[in-house]
Amino acid sequence: MLEWSKAAPAIGAAFLASLVEVVEAFTIVLVVATLRGWKPAVLGTGAALATLAAVVVILGPLLDQVPLHLLQLVIGVLLLLFGIGWLRKASLRAGGILPLHDEDAIFAKESAELSADIQRQKTSQDWIAGIAAYKAVLLEGLEVIFIVIAVGAGRGMLWPASLGALAACALVLVIGAIAHRPLSKVPENTLKFGVGVMLSAFGVFWTGEGLGVEWPGQDLALFVFAGLFLIAGLMSARMVRRPVLEVTP
Amino acid sequence: MSILKDVLSELFKMFVSDARLTAAILAVVAGTAVLTRGTSLSPLVGGLALLVGCIAVLIVAVRREARDRRRQTSR
Repeated sequence: MLEWSKAAPAIGAAFLASLVEVVEAFTIVLVVATLRGWKPAVLGTGAALATLAAVVVILGPLLDQVPLHLLQLVIGVLLLLFGIGWLRKASLRAGGILPLHDEDAIFAKESAELSADIQRQKTSQDWIAGIAAYKAVLLEGLEVIFIVIAVGAGRGMLWPASLGALAACALVLVIGAIAHRPLSKVPENTLKFGVGVMLSAFGVFWTGEGLGVEWPGQDLALFVFAGLFLIAGLMSARMVRRPVLEVTP
Repeated sequence: MSILKDVLSELFKMFVSDARLTAAILAVVAGTAVLTRGTSLSPLVGGLALLVGCIAVLIVAVRREARDRRRQTSR
């Protein structure tokens, strides 16, 4: 029987993080489909999904061989590096230091780059477009796999975390198929802020457990950590935001 | 080979986007390991040091990056 207090953070973190990654991959696949048609886009995406499935099939069973504390420590440290990196960037965006992530702008930039690539290369144009889709889906997919393993492997929550990621993929595919344009309405910057908070909280939790810390309240400690990282992220954004100067007439 | 190189480079950047941030986080984890494994203190003390250390690293990293970027744009 699934314990929701344990499963909810894993499902939520996997869903939100995957949503961000899948939206990014979808933008590139849409660039390929717009420039060269759906055939290279679907072939590239399919090949990438097959590669990702092979990675899971080959590496998945190895996870069971690693001692639990070592697994928690390694994943925890990687999550800290990944999560705090995301949160730092999200805070800088919220503070106006970095420009906000804009899927429409990325769509235009990727279209121009791929068009230039196609013009330059002498190989088949569909092949270049297919490779672009393959690379985008493979890279974002690897991040999704890492996130699912990271939030799920430490406590036997791999299946719930995978379901969260799959739900995100399904949602993006359905909305993307209906909208047929980059999903610029997805509040990606806010999502990245939230995901950075969750991954950092998981990172502290697993690293601590890997080093033998028994957190008071067990899994509930995750919510406390998330709250503290949220406050720290918002505070950092506020600290670096430039004050708006009022000009008196 | 170019695809493999790109994938490996992206994977590396996933975890090491900023070398100073990475070094600071690893230093906090190493300090926590010393506190939990190398002293007679309760492991929870190490855990709290980890939490506080990571939050401090985040705040310092954001402020430092903002300061560096402002310096670059003002030049």
